[in-house]
Amino acid sequence: MRRSTRPTASSGGRGRLAVNAAPATPNYAFGDRAPGAVFAPERVEQLAAALRACDAKGHAVVLFGGGTLQSLGHAPARYDVAIDLRALDKLLEYEFRDLTISVEAGMSVEQLTATLAERGQFVALDAPQAARSTVGGILASGWGGPRRATYGRPRDALIGTTIVLADGTIAKAGGMVVKNVTGYDMSKLYCGSFGTLGAIVRANFKTLPAPPARRVAIARLPERTHRHVIENIAALDVEPAAALVVQGFADDIDGRDGADGRIFLLFEGSQALVDRSTRELRSALGAAGVPETTLFDAGAGTAFSRLLDAYLVRLGDRSVTYRCLGLPNDLLRRWETVARLAQTHELALETLQDIRTGDLIARVSATLSGHLAERIAGFDAELHLALPSIHVLTAPEPLRGGLAMWGAPPSSLETMRALKKRFDPNGTLAPGRFVGGI
Amino acid sequence: MESATRERFGERLVDAIGADAVLTAPEDLAVYSFDAYSEERLPSAAVLPKDARDVSAIVRIANECGEPIVARGAGTGLCGGAAPVRGGVVVSFARMNRILSLDAANRRARVQPGLINLDLSKAAYPHGLFFGPDPSSQKISTLGGNTGTNAGGPHALSYGSMTNHVLGLEYVDGSGEILHTALDDFGYDLTGSLVGSEGTLGIITAIDLRLMRVPPAIRVFVSAFGDVETASAAVSAIIAAGIIPTALEIMDKTIVRAVEAHYHAGFPLDAGAVLLVEIAGQPDDMASGERAIGTIAREHGALSWRSAADATERDALWAARKGAAGALGRIAPNYYIQDATVPRTRLPQALHRIDEICREYKLLVGNVFHAGDGNLHPLLIFDRRERRQVEAVMAAGTEILTACIELGGTISGEHGIGYEKRETLPLVFSSDDLATMGRVRDVFDPKRLFNPDKIFPSGAVCGEVRAQPQVAAGAGAWL
Repeated sequence: MRRSTRPTASSGGRGRLAVNAAPATPNYAFGDRAPGAVFAPERVEQLAAALRACDAKGHAVVLFGGGTLQSLGHAPARYDVAIDLRALDKLLEYEFRDLTISVEAGMSVEQLTATLAERGQFVALDAPQAARSTVGGILASGWGGPRRATYGRPRDALIGTTIVLADGTIAKAGGMVVKNVTGYDMSKLYCGSFGTLGAIVRANFKTLPAPPARRVAIARLPERTHRHVIENIAALDVEPAAALVVQGFADDIDGRDGADGRIFLLFEGSQALVDRSTRELRSALGAAGVPETTLFDAGAGTAFSRLLDAYLVRLGDRSVTYRCLGLPNDLLRRWETVARLAQTHELALETLQDIRTGDLIARVSATLSGHLAERIAGFDAELHLALPSIHVLTAPEPLRGGLAMWGAPPSSLETMRALKKRFDPNGTLAPGRFVGGI
Repeated sequence: MESATRERFGERLVDAIGADAVLTAPEDLAVYSFDAYSEERLPSAAVLPKDARDVSAIVRIANECGEPIVARGAGTGLCGGAAPVRGGVVVSFARMNRILSLDAANRRARVQPGLINLDLSKAAYPHGLFFGPDPSSQKISTLGGNTGTNAGGPHALSYGSMTNHVLGLEYVDGSGEILHTALDDFGYDLTGSLVGSEGTLGIITAIDLRLMRVPPAIRVFVSAFGDVETASAAVSAIIAAGIIPTALEIMDKTIVRAVEAHYHAGFPLDAGAVLLVEIAGQPDDMASGERAIGTIAREHGALSWRSAADATERDALWAARKGAAGALGRIAPNYYIQDATVPRTRLPQALHRIDEICREYKLLVGNVFHAGDGNLHPLLIFDRRERRQVEAVMAAGTEILTACIELGGTISGEHGIGYEKRETLPLVFSSDDLATMGRVRDVFDPKRLFNPDKIFPSGAVCGEVRAQPQVAAGAGAWL
C-alpha cells in the first residue's frame, strides 16, 4: 500500500471514491465543515489501508454509517476525510441453529432485522430510523433503547467484534460462542466509543427467539393521572417490554395526548401472556383513572418504530432534544425539573418518559429558530446544573458549539483520554467529537 | 524479595492501614499463596483492607515499592487468577463483605467485593428480587471475584454472565486514585473493560449490580438419555428450535453416580446421561414450555422425563448439580476441570472428541456442563502421585481445548484465563488481537503491577507470540 497525500486514492480504485467532491455530500458535513474527501471501502483491507494512510498523513477522519446519530457530540475539531462504511454490509455467518449471527457492521439495522426475522429471531437494538441506521453506528454510539430493561443493551447481545484501528491494525475480540471469557472483553470498550478508538467492521451477536405475539397499547391520560399511571404500570405483574409516557410528539407517534399526555406500552411474549397482560393493563389503567385503551396488533411493529424514530425527529432548526439518564423511580422528579426550566425559559416541551429504563427524552422548541437560539443557552446551563447524566441527541448545527453536548465529564476522564491516546496517538479518528473533547 | 525489604514494605503497610490488617509471617501467608489451581508462591504480605481508602493506600505503597498487587476473593478460582505467582501483596476482601445499599424500587444493589454471591440473593428475596449469575461456587465465592472473572453459572443461559449485571464500579487505579464508572456515564465503557479483566487493570472496591424480579413460576425437569452425545444432540435441537430455557445442564453417568452417592437427589442412576432443564417466567407459559421441550427431548432419544414435584425437590436437584465437582472429589483421587465453549450445534461432536481423546490417553472422564451455552466442563480423573497420569491429563487437556477451537469454540467460557491458560491464548488470538488488548493494559497498568503473569502469554505485547500450550494439574472444586 502506497501512502498518498490523498489517502483515499491509495485503494487502487476498488473502493467507491469521491476525492475532493466539493461540496461533499451534505450527509458528511458538520455545519459548514465538510470533508475534503469521502471514501467508501468495500473490503476491510481497503479500510485498513485508508486509515493507515490518513494516520500517517495527519488527516482527520470521521467514520460514517447511516449518520443517524452523528447529531450526538461535538463537531470534529479537525476534519479531512469521511469514511462511509455502508459498503461493508455483508452477512458473514448466520448460524441460526446456534442463535448466533455475524455481519459486517455497515449492514443496516433494518437488513439485520429482516435477516433474523426469516428465522424467527431478533436482536433488540431499538435503533431509530432502522432503514438508515447501521449496526456499527448503533454499537459505536452506545445506543440503548426502551427494550433494554427487558432484553439488555446492544452490548449485551454482542459476542464478538473486529475493529480496524487508526494505524490500520485489524484486531478481533470475542468469538461466535455465547459464553466467553477468553481475553479482555474488548467489544464492550468499542461499544459507545463513538468511532474514536477504531472502526467496528464486524459484529457477532447472540440472537433471541422472536416473541410469538406483540401488542402495542396506547391510552390518553386524563388530568392528574400521570403519577398514578407510572406507579400502576411499574407494579404490573407481567412487565411490558417497553412502557413510556409520551407528551407531545403529536405528528411523530400514534395517538393523541390527553391532559396528561398518553401512555405507550409494548407487550411481547406468548399470545396467552399478551392477552393476560392486556386485561391486567386495562384494570391498572382503569384504577388510575384512564378510561380507554387502543390496541395495535398488526401495527405494533410500525407503532414501535415510530416511537423509536421520534427520539431523533427535529422540528427544523427550532428544537433541541436531550436524553437524561437516571433511575426509574427518579423519573418524575427529573421530568418536573425539566418542565419547570422549560417554562422559565419559554420553551415548548415534549417528553418521552421511559418508566422501565428511567430514560427521559426531552425535546424543547420555540416557534422561531431565532427564539430557540436566544433561549437555549440559559436553559442548557441550568439543566446541567440541575441534573446529571444529560446529553444532546440532536440540535441545529449552529447551536451545537454553545451546548454542553455530553454534560459534565465522568470522574475517569483521564483514563479515557489515556485510552484514546494509546489507541489513536495521532488523534486521527473523530478528534474532539467525544466526551471531554476526546 | 529480601527479608529486610519485605519488613520495610510490611511496616509501611502497617503504618497505613493498621497492624491487624497486615500479615507478613510465612505461616500466616501460606493460605494466600494459592487458589483452587495448583500454582503457588508465598506473597510478601497479605492485607485485609476495610474500605477503598485502605486499598488506595495499599496500591500507592506497592506501586512505590514495585510490588505486584493480587486481589483475592474466596480463592475458588480454577485458573490461578488469585495466585501471587510473582509474589507481592495479596489483597483479601474478607473484611469488605457488606451490602452497601439495596434499592428495591430501582432493582439494584451496591456491594463490597468480599460479599458472598448467594448472600446478595438472600437479602434480595424478601423484596421479590434476586441476583442472576449463580456460579456453582456461589455459596462461598465472592462478587468481587465473580466480577473479576466475569463468572457465569448454570443460569447464564438466560440471564447472562456477570458483565450483563454489573451497572457500575468503584475501583482503585494504578496510582492509587479511587475512581467510579457507570454504564450510564457518557464516555468509554470502563465498566465493561474492568469486568473479566481478572485483576489486571485495577482493584475493584464496590460494585453496582442489577437485581431481577423472582419469576412467578419455575419448573425443573429431569430427563434420562442413553449417553452424553445423545443428550447433547437434544440440547442442540432445543436451542435450534428457538427455545431458550433458563438452564440446560447435562451430567454423565460418572457424575450422576458421584452426585447421588452424596446427595440422593433422585437423578436416575441407570442413565448414560441426565439432562436438567429449568424454565421460568409466567405461569401461563409453563405448560406449553414443558410440552415443547419435552417433545424435542423424546424425539431425540430421551428415555424418561419427569418434573420436580415442588420447590423442595427443585432445590435438592440444583444443590446436587452445583455440588457435582465436590461430590466427584469424594470418589476420585484427583481431577482436572477443563472449561471451554463450542457453538451449541457442535456439542455432540465436541463430546465425541472429548471421549476419543480420553480413551486415547486412557483417562477416566466425567462430564458436567452448561449444555445450553455450549460450555463444556470435562473432569479428567487421575492420581497425582502417578507421574504418567499427570502428563496424560496435561496433554489431553490441551488436545480438548484445541478440538474445541477447531469446532469454532474458545478456551474459556466462565473460569477465566488466569495463569493456567495464558500460554494457550495465542491459539485463539493473533498477536495483533493480543497487542490491542495490551493497549488497554498499558493504560490501566503501565508498570504491570496488577496481577502480573496472568491472561497474557509470556512474550505477548512486546514481541512475537507463539503458542506454547501448558496445562498443570489442579484439583478445584467448582464449575
